[in-house]
Amino acid sequence: MALSVAPADAVLLDDALSEELLRLTDGAAAPCFQCGACTATCPWGLVSGEGLSVRKLMRRAQLGLAHENGAVWLCTTCAACEARCPRGVPISRVMVALRQAAWQHRHVPAGLNALMWGMYWDGNPWGRPPSQRSIWARGLEVPAFGPTSEILYYVGCTASYDQRMQKIARALAGIFRAAGVEYGTLGDREPCCGEAAHNLGQAGYVRQVVAANERLFAEAGVGTIVALSPHCYDMFRNRYFLDGHPGGWRPLHYSEYLAELIAAGRLTFEQPLAMRVTYHDPCYLGRRNGLYEAPREVLRAIPGLELVEMEESRAEALCCGGGGGRMWQETAAGQRFADLRVAQARATGAEVLVTTCPHCIACLEDSAKLGGGAPLRVVDVAEVVAAALGVSTARPAAREMAR
Amino acid sequence: MNAMRTPHIAVCLKVVPRPEEVKVNLETRTLDRANARQQFNPPDVNALEFALALREKHVGRVSVLSMGPPFFAEYLKLALAVGADTAYLLSDRAFGGADTLPTSYTLARGIAKLGDCDLVVCGEESSDGATAQVPPGIAEWLGMAQVTYGSDLEILPERWRLKARRELKGGHEVITVPLPAVVSVRVGANEPRFIDFARLTGEPLGVTVWSAADLGVDPAMVGLSGSATVVAGVDRAETVERRRELLTGTPEEKARTLVERIAVYLARGTRPDGAAASSPAAHA
Repeated sequence: MALSVAPADAVLLDDALSEELLRLTDGAAAPCFQCGACTATCPWGLVSGEGLSVRKLMRRAQLGLAHENGAVWLCTTCAACEARCPRGVPISRVMVALRQAAWQHRHVPAGLNALMWGMYWDGNPWGRPPSQRSIWARGLEVPAFGPTSEILYYVGCTASYDQRMQKIARALAGIFRAAGVEYGTLGDREPCCGEAAHNLGQAGYVRQVVAANERLFAEAGVGTIVALSPHCYDMFRNRYFLDGHPGGWRPLHYSEYLAELIAAGRLTFEQPLAMRVTYHDPCYLGRRNGLYEAPREVLRAIPGLELVEMEESRAEALCCGGGGGRMWQETAAGQRFADLRVAQARATGAEVLVTTCPHCIACLEDSAKLGGGAPLRVVDVAEVVAAALGVSTARPAAREMAR
Repeated sequence: MNAMRTPHIAVCLKVVPRPEEVKVNLETRTLDRANARQQFNPPDVNALEFALALREKHVGRVSVLSMGPPFFAEYLKLALAVGADTAYLLSDRAFGGADTLPTSYTLARGIAKLGDCDLVVCGEESSDGATAQVPPGIAEWLGMAQVTYGSDLEILPERWRLKARRELKGGHEVITVPLPAVVSVRVGANEPRFIDFARLTGEPLGVTVWSAADLGVDPAMVGLSGSATVVAGVDRAETVERRRELLTGTPEEKARTLVERIAVYLARGTRPDGAAASSPAAHA
């Protein structure tokens, strides 16, 4: 009866949800004092009139209000807001926790349940069989990881299955060979790191994936793992072996590893590669893990290559739009951050836009092709390095790729 | 008068090998599924989703049933974690080697043992058997109304009938049948909710196992001995090597070459294999 005094349109706080969100976010939203720097920084403001009110989502997380309008699924977890937040709120962590709650209340965009089932049955988000995981390596002699391997080369789902990204996987294998690195892969046994499930708020599932993978890596004797994608790297660095690893867990992004090889004199460039390039910082390498210099060091080591910076780079870099599970959702034309990023790249006068992330390449390449304007090639640092070394990334003819 | 009645919905779930992992043993000419990964038969998950959505609307209960070896129990736990209330595994050596006749009989006996089942939801067919005979078979054994290839389901509580939409070539039909009824649903008719891992890793999930004796089935009517079909022979269809050719040149050149190649056959009215381009076979 006491509630009857509230007007019909009053927003009632749900204590149970409030406690649930407090538990899921670990109280991470609590320090937010609602200044709105996050909303002002969010790239959604650049592509849609309304933008994404990150501030409001943080307030709702503090109060325990449900999120039924789907806003929580727009976040690319690019962390641009976190770089500006005066209170140091781990905003993307709160977003992921809000998604976790949204799963429990079944406010999930169409397609994500199917994506999760696909990951569960296939062990990758691309709906492809594990038995075809090493198809990227056809025609190359890629060694299996063993006791003498210096590193485990972790290719990841996207570069294993996506035809465009397979070129990066092949380039990197060629570079390791050229540098005389004793590397190995897990072949068809390579598991998915679980990144898509993590950022889409499937914490319970991710715990199972991580536990199984930790067992696999430990049993295989993996210590140094070199990941092709910054997304897998972020998982390995921040969510694996948090309780320690018997032999020392050393997750690296390949750009870090190539920088190490160059510094050690194991990877050297003889021929100049005349090319004017600009470098796009992937959010999961840069802002999220502080790796800004390694890919640039690799590019600068190539004689003849000219590196120019975009208007926004390093911590200021604009997201491609493919992170935080956005890769698995459709973004309407006209709302793609990558369109803006490609325009920034063109403005530098560079002929090539270089980055180090399969998701970034997918988004940027689409925008570069669809946008019109001066031709702009979008390639991975590994592809540039392979070109400088004269390593071919071409796939064998279709008949050799076919099973 | 049935407005307050809540339905007890049974869902038949099959665990099937991943199609790409099944190899044919060329000597014995049998399917080698020993190392194949398993999954739920895809339309069965759509069936489960329909049942859970109906439960959300009408309250009631959802029971999942499967006939198979003991390892199926782990999969039934997944179905419980997705949201089913109870799970039953019909498992007995005597059930082995069953074709669709004893399979539908055994499942029907399991459903009958539940006692108060109002609706049985099945997938349209299994990905490994692909006969689509089991759902109608269950309806026959139980004397229930049946609907096949449903793409949307509704329970009409006042009339205690099932309303189902069926996709047909060139259109659809909406029919109602009295409950209890058996309905099979199209693969992809809905987007099944994912496993709730809090449920999967929380309180232990129990699966009830029923043997042939528990079901009180006639031994002559289950498994291999109850099967009406016998695989008398399997033969190998030789594949034909395709005359593949990779065109070279710029995209424009390749397109031009392709048009030139096709134009020859269009002019002649024949296909490269000599068949008339307008014959029905050309459209097969």
